[in-house]
Amino acid sequence: MRDLGPILRAMLRNKTGALLIAIQIAVTMTIIVNAVFIIQQRIELMARASGVDEANTFYLSSVGFADDFNAKTTVLEDLAALRSLPGVVDAIQTNAVPMSGSGWSMGLQTEPGEEFDGTGVAVYMIDDHGLNTLDLELVAGRNFTPQDILWREPAARNWPDIVIVTQAVAEALFPDTPVADVVGKTVYINDDESINIVGIVDKLQAPWVGWGAVERAMLSPERTLFNSAQYLIRTQPGQRDILMPQIEEMLASSNKGRIINNLNTIEDTRERSYRRHSAMITILITVMVTLTLVTAAGIVGLSSFTVNKRRKQIGTRRALGATRGDILRYFMLENLLISSVGITLGLILTIGLNMVLVNRFEMERLDWFYLPLGMAALWLLGQLAVLGPASRAAAIPPAVATRTV
Amino acid sequence: MLKMQRISKVFRTDLVATHALRDFSLEVAEGEFISVTGPSGSGKTTFLNIAGLLESFDQGQYFLDNEDISNLSDNARSRLRNEKIGFIFQSFNLIPDLNLFDNVDVPLRYRKLPSAERKRRIEKSLETVGLASRYKHLPSQLSGGQQQRVAIARALAGEPRFLLADEPTGNLDSAMAASVLELLKDINNAGTTIIMVTHDPVLAEQTDRQIYVRDGQISNIASTAQIATPRLASGA
Repeated sequence: MRDLGPILRAMLRNKTGALLIAIQIAVTMTIIVNAVFIIQQRIELMARASGVDEANTFYLSSVGFADDFNAKTTVLEDLAALRSLPGVVDAIQTNAVPMSGSGWSMGLQTEPGEEFDGTGVAVYMIDDHGLNTLDLELVAGRNFTPQDILWREPAARNWPDIVIVTQAVAEALFPDTPVADVVGKTVYINDDESINIVGIVDKLQAPWVGWGAVERAMLSPERTLFNSAQYLIRTQPGQRDILMPQIEEMLASSNKGRIINNLNTIEDTRERSYRRHSAMITILITVMVTLTLVTAAGIVGLSSFTVNKRRKQIGTRRALGATRGDILRYFMLENLLISSVGITLGLILTIGLNMVLVNRFEMERLDWFYLPLGMAALWLLGQLAVLGPASRAAAIPPAVATRTV
Repeated sequence: MLKMQRISKVFRTDLVATHALRDFSLEVAEGEFISVTGPSGSGKTTFLNIAGLLESFDQGQYFLDNEDISNLSDNARSRLRNEKIGFIFQSFNLIPDLNLFDNVDVPLRYRKLPSAERKRRIEKSLETVGLASRYKHLPSQLSGGQQQRVAIARALAGEPRFLLADEPTGNLDSAMAASVLELLKDINNAGTTIIMVTHDPVLAEQTDRQIYVRDGQISNIASTAQIATPRLASGA
């Protein structure tokens, strides 16, 4: 560090190139730190469990079109056939699929009356096989029984008088009550229609992955009497891909008055739902890599130019007693100083950009540890980038000092 | 103090081998002031580079203060240069972005001397060359003669055993050249051995011995007494 003073004084007399690199480092740090933070957030978002046995579950739609199509009979026959198939763990008819982007939502409130705001929840209509099919864990209360299950007409507005909710709903509705004690509580739907909570499940995401309250869902003991039905099927591990075409064929041939379509796995649904996030991550990584390469190239370029310009000066330093290590250290230290200026500026810009993102786009505040990590990364980048030119400088022989060119 | 025995140095390219020095032998005693002259390409600078440990040689032996430097590592040669040898270059070789103080400080930093000791030496050597008051100036703010004086101060600050001067007056007008030569004589009279490479025979005549190099070999050695040129008295 003994060269620090002279290096600093020399840089201040010749600062344009160094300043440009420092600014480049500052911009790179600002973008990289914020980008990494955004990527990390997106990854966390994408890694959230839906609550379902994703690897072994798929779904399909049955759309009746024949004049004599009987929705109730078809559903009952289909479910019986599906549940009896070897390799199938369980199956249900449902109105919505987690992460699919399409579903129902209602408001639940703890007091009756229009004047009270409801807590928004996603609605999954399931029967007594629902928990097993969805692979949900009952943390309190009970499952539905076959006697609980009602048939919902297309135009129906009323709701069954019992419900199972997710833990997140229980906590949102009764924040001061232990989750187990929420069982038995009465809540209201459609402002004043009372429903009794009979069970709490650990986790089930809503169909909308971008929704802030995605963990809030209620399970209603219903099957629908619509011409269009959706079946969710959970298979034994490793059986899903084998059973999918078989079941599609079986259902299609069992009733000629309907068509089977929209055959999808939950894994594919997850991939589709988060595609926007994946694309964003890819773009941000591309920008980060490009910026890093451009900055590294800038440092290599400036350092190489400086080394070439100072060949005689380096030879003179060697003649005056500098070892190769001294020359290497000189350029590394010079870069460290430039990087430090850039990183200091970058620190301010990083926090500034994050504040803009927080205020304008309601993003989360940057975690503090991203800053030291970003600083260390940029210092390391600078040192690695300057290593080549600095090594070439160290290899300049002292005899250059006496040469006239 | 300095003893070269049958030193040879060949520069090779794919097409041609140039014998810069052939069986070059020379002894320089402590306190001597010698000049090395010769036509361009005769091997003067190669001799200076080898003497100053700036360049290696192919054959022969070189003793500096009775130490055989033939097999020294690069770091050991750097340390020897720093501690024992002072360099004065034709084009001064000052670092343009550093002020005079920092320029003179360069070799002292490599010796890892304490800050107070470096400061003392820098002030003393700048005082010796008459530029103490201008220590904050940049080289570009000085005349050529003054810049060469700074280079001499830089060489002196290390308190070297001997000075190697490569055409020290080559870029100066005659008045400035005379002044620099007088300074070198003062330094020599204070006990520092000096080897000066020069084209200028008048300058060479003012040293204790004149070595004439041609085709990489010493073709003639004359002493000031032989050519009846009185050694200039020093004021020091």
